[in-house]
Amino acid sequence: MKTKIRVEKEHEKEPAKKGRRLAEELCGKELLKRLSDYHLDPETIRYAACSDMEDEHRFADGIVILAEKKLAIVRYPADGAERSFGGYARTIGAGGEPAIRIYDLDSVKKLDVLRHVSTGELMGEIDGVEYRLAHFSKSRLGEFIRLKDNLDKVKRGEDLTQEDIQGTKKQECCPNCGTLYPDQERRVCPKCMDKRSIFVRLFGYFKIYKARIAVMFLCYIVSAVLNMVYPYLSGTILYDRVLAKDERFLALVGLPGGRFMLLLLMAVVTMFVSKVLIQAAGILHGYLTSQIVPEVMGRLKSEVFSSMGKLSISFYNSRQTGGLMTRVLDDASEITSFFIDGVPYFIVNVLTVIMTAVIMFRLHWLLALVSLALLPVMMYLSYHMMPRLWSFYGKRHRASRRLNSQINDNITGARVVKAFGKEDEEMRRFEKTNKGVREAELAVASYDNRFNILYNAGENLTSFAVWGIGAALVLSNTDMELGILITFTGYVSQLNGPLDFMSYMFRWFTSCMNAAQRIFEIIDAVPRVRESEEPVVLPQVQGSVRLEHVTFGYEPNKPVLKDLTLQVEAGQMLGIVGKSGAGKSTLVNLISRLYDPDEGSIYLDGVNIRNLSFSQLRKSIAMVSQETYVFMGTVAENIAYARPEATQEEIIRAAKLASAHDFICKMPEGYDTLIGSSGRSLSGGERQRLSIARAILADPKILILDEATAAVDTETEAAIQHSLELLVKGRTTISIAHRLSTLKNADFLIVIDEGKLKEEGTHAELTEKKGIYYKLMELQTKALAMRGLED
Amino acid sequence: MIGIDDKEFNEEELLAQSADLLELRFLNKDNAVFARTPGGFVSLDYAGIHYDRVGVYRTFPLTEPESYISIREADEKAREIGMVEKLTDIDRDQAEMLREQLRLRYFMPVIQKVISVKDEYGYAYFDVMTNFGACRFTTHMGSEAFVSLTDTRIMITDLDGNRYEIPDINRLTVAERKKLDLFI
Repeated sequence: MKTKIRVEKEHEKEPAKKGRRLAEELCGKELLKRLSDYHLDPETIRYAACSDMEDEHRFADGIVILAEKKLAIVRYPADGAERSFGGYARTIGAGGEPAIRIYDLDSVKKLDVLRHVSTGELMGEIDGVEYRLAHFSKSRLGEFIRLKDNLDKVKRGEDLTQEDIQGTKKQECCPNCGTLYPDQERRVCPKCMDKRSIFVRLFGYFKIYKARIAVMFLCYIVSAVLNMVYPYLSGTILYDRVLAKDERFLALVGLPGGRFMLLLLMAVVTMFVSKVLIQAAGILHGYLTSQIVPEVMGRLKSEVFSSMGKLSISFYNSRQTGGLMTRVLDDASEITSFFIDGVPYFIVNVLTVIMTAVIMFRLHWLLALVSLALLPVMMYLSYHMMPRLWSFYGKRHRASRRLNSQINDNITGARVVKAFGKEDEEMRRFEKTNKGVREAELAVASYDNRFNILYNAGENLTSFAVWGIGAALVLSNTDMELGILITFTGYVSQLNGPLDFMSYMFRWFTSCMNAAQRIFEIIDAVPRVRESEEPVVLPQVQGSVRLEHVTFGYEPNKPVLKDLTLQVEAGQMLGIVGKSGAGKSTLVNLISRLYDPDEGSIYLDGVNIRNLSFSQLRKSIAMVSQETYVFMGTVAENIAYARPEATQEEIIRAAKLASAHDFICKMPEGYDTLIGSSGRSLSGGERQRLSIARAILADPKILILDEATAAVDTETEAAIQHSLELLVKGRTTISIAHRLSTLKNADFLIVIDEGKLKEEGTHAELTEKKGIYYKLMELQTKALAMRGLED
Repeated sequence: MIGIDDKEFNEEELLAQSADLLELRFLNKDNAVFARTPGGFVSLDYAGIHYDRVGVYRTFPLTEPESYISIREADEKAREIGMVEKLTDIDRDQAEMLREQLRLRYFMPVIQKVISVKDEYGYAYFDVMTNFGACRFTTHMGSEAFVSLTDTRIMITDLDGNRYEIPDINRLTVAERKKLDLFI
C-alpha cells in the first residue's frame, strides 16, 4: 500500500522517471540495455505486457512494450521453466537470447485482443496487415486488454494513470500474508483475521444471559468435579478403605470402629448421589442450552435481516441471494452452538485433563506415566486423521447433493422424460449417481471405523498396560493397593473423551470465527446509497426529472451508461427504446436511486435526488417492472403494499383500473386469497396486473414502466395497455418497451445504444430521421404484418 | 434482436439473411481454399468471397477434435461461413493451418503428474507436471472448477480461466489420485 502512494506522488512530479522504473520493473535492466541498442529509449516506455506463450503454443516469455513512439515485441525462447498462474507469485526472469522486433507507433493502426477459449492473442494492424503479435494464457488477458486500451492514449501523448497500468480488478489477496481471499467480494483474510476481537464481540451477545450461563458453567464444573471424584470413590475408597477394612478411615469419617457395613452403605450412597448429581447437572445444562440457543440465534438472525434491509441493491447483486440466506442461517447456528457447547466444554475439558493428570501423579507417578504415555501419540494420530475424515465427509456431502439435484431435475423434467420415453435411461443415470453416494457413504464409514479402531486400540492398550503393570505392582506388594489401580483405570477411560474433543476444537473455532465474520460483515455493512444527513423534503412534488451527464457502471471501468443528459417535464411521458443490454433498466434504477451515478447527477424538480429524503423519493416513484414481487399475504395486502392504510374501496378501484378485478373475483377467496410462496400461484399476466394495481394505489408522481407488458399474451397486453393509459394521466411516466406500439403515446422518445443517447425526439421526428428508431419500427411492423397474415 | 446497421432497411436482404442462417454448408477441397496471411492468420476463399481472416472453432471440442470444424467470420458477430466435416476433407497443408489455429484456441495442457495439491481457505493450490512443462495454478474449491467429462476424464479450470486436462485418472498413480480425492 505504501509503495503505491509513493509511486503516485512521484508520478505527479516526474512522469519520465516513472516510465523508467516501470520499464525496469517489467523488462529488467539487461533487456533495457538491449533495447537501447535498438534505439528505443527506456525513458519513453509507458507500458508493457508480458506474454507467456510462443507461436507453437509452448510456454515462453515475451514482452510487448509500448513506448512513446515505438511498439516493441520481445520474445524469449521456450525454456521449459515452471509456470505459475493465478494464486501463485508470478515467475519472472526469462532466460535466453530474446528476439526483438520494433515497430513505429505511427504504423500501428490498431491493436486487438482475440479471446480464445483458454488463451488470448494480440493482433496488431501494422501498415495495413494484421499480424499475430503475441500469445498468452488467460492469466495475462487483463494486461493485454489494457495494452490495447492504452495504445490510443500513448499515441495522443496522454499520461497513463495508475489504473491504466495496473488495472483495477485482479485476484485480491491479503497484503500481509499473500493468502487469496476466499471470497473475492470480501477482503477478509482468514489467516490474519483478528479472531480475538470477533470473539470478544460475540461474547456480547451472550452477556445478557450472564446468570444462566453462570449456572451452566456451574453444571459443567459440578459434573467435571464429580466425574473426577467418582473413580476415586469406586476405586480407592471402595477397595482400599471399605473392603480393606481401614480402621483409620472409619475414624476419619467419624464412625465408630467396626461399622464397615455402614461405611459401605455410605460409600454406595455417595456414589449414587454423585451419579444422580452428574445426571441432574446434565439435565439442567441441557434445559438452559435449549433456552439460550434459540434466543441468541433469533437475535443474530433478526439483526442480520434488518441490516440487510438497509443495504443497497448492489449488495444483493454482488452475492448469490440464495446462498446468502442459507449461509446466514447456518452461520448463526454455528456460532451459537460453538459458544454454548464448544467454549464451556472446552474449558471444562482443559480443567479435567489437568486435574486428572495431577491427581494421577499424586496417587502413583509410575502408573500415571503409563496412563499418559500413549496420549501424545493419539493426539498426533487424530490431528492427522481428522482432516482426511473431514474430506470424506465433504465427499459424501457432495455426492448426496448431486443425487438431490438429479432427483430435482427429474421431477421438474418429468414431462419431457415421459414424452421421450426415457424412463429406463433416467433410471440408469440415477443408479450411477446413487452408486456414487453409496460408495461415499462406505468410504466415510470405513474410515470412521479405522479411526475408531485406532482410538479404541490406543485406549485399550493403555488400559491393559495400567492393569498389567498395576497388578504386578500390587502383587509385588510395594506401596500399591488394589483400589488405586481401579481408580486409575477409571481415570484412563475419562481422559480420552476430552482429548478427542480437543483435536477438532481448533477447527471448530476457526469455522465459527469465519461464520461470525461473515455475519458481522453484513451487520456492519454500510449501504452504498445513503440518505443525506439533512434530507430535503419538497412541499409538493411536481415530477420533472432531469439527468445531467450521468455515467454509471455496475463494475468499475465498465460504464453501462455514458454521459447521459435528458429532461422530462412534469406530466410528460418519456419512452426509452434500445436493444436488450443497452442500459434502459439501469437508467430507471438510477432515477429511483437504487444506485447512485458514478458521475453526473439526477434532479427531481430541480433538487438533486441525493439530497432528497428517502421516504419522499420512494413515495414519489413507483415502478412496474418485469419482475413483480409478490409477497406472502392476501391479494388485498399485496395491492396495498405501498399504502397499507388504503380502504377496501380504494383497493377494488385500483384493481379494476388494472384489469385485475375480474380474475381476483374469480378466485374462491377473492381479495382474501393468500398468495406468495405458500399460497396460490399466479400467472405472469396476473402478477403483472397486480403490480399495476399496486402502482395505481400508490399514486406516485413519477411512474416507471419497465417492460410492463413483456410477460403477457397479446390479449392481456391489450387490457393492461388500456389500464396503463389511464394510469399515466397526470403523472410523469418513463416507459421502457421492446414493442414500440406501446410507446405510441409518449411525448418524446430516446434511443439508447451501448449506454449512449443515440436519438431523441417525438415519434414523428424520429420516423422522419430514418435512424435506428425508424429501422426498429419497420422491422416490427413487418413482423406484425407477417404474423397477421398467418392468422 | 436482428442487427441494425447503417444501410437502408431492406426486407428482402433480411429474409435472405435469415434463410442463410438456416443452411448448413460444408467446406472441402473442391469449394474452399484456406491460405496463410502474411501476419500469420488464416484466410479463406469460398463461394467467390475472400475472407481476410477467419475464426476456426470446434463444435465438439472434447469429443471430436478433428471433425465438424466451424469456420466463422473474424468480426465480433462471428457469422458462420461453413463447416469442415473432417479435417481430412481439405488439403493437407491447409488442414495443418487450421489445426494450428485450433491448438491455440483450445489450448489445454494435459496433466501427466500431480506433484502436490494443497487446499487452504477455499482454494486448491496445484503443482503439476503437464505436457507443456511444470505448472502451478490455483482453483476454487467449488464444484465448477472440476468437470468430469467422463468417468475417468477430468477438466480443471483455474482462477484465471486456463484449462487443464486429465485424460484418464486411472493412469495416475494411486498416490496421485489420492491427492485429487477431494475433487473426483
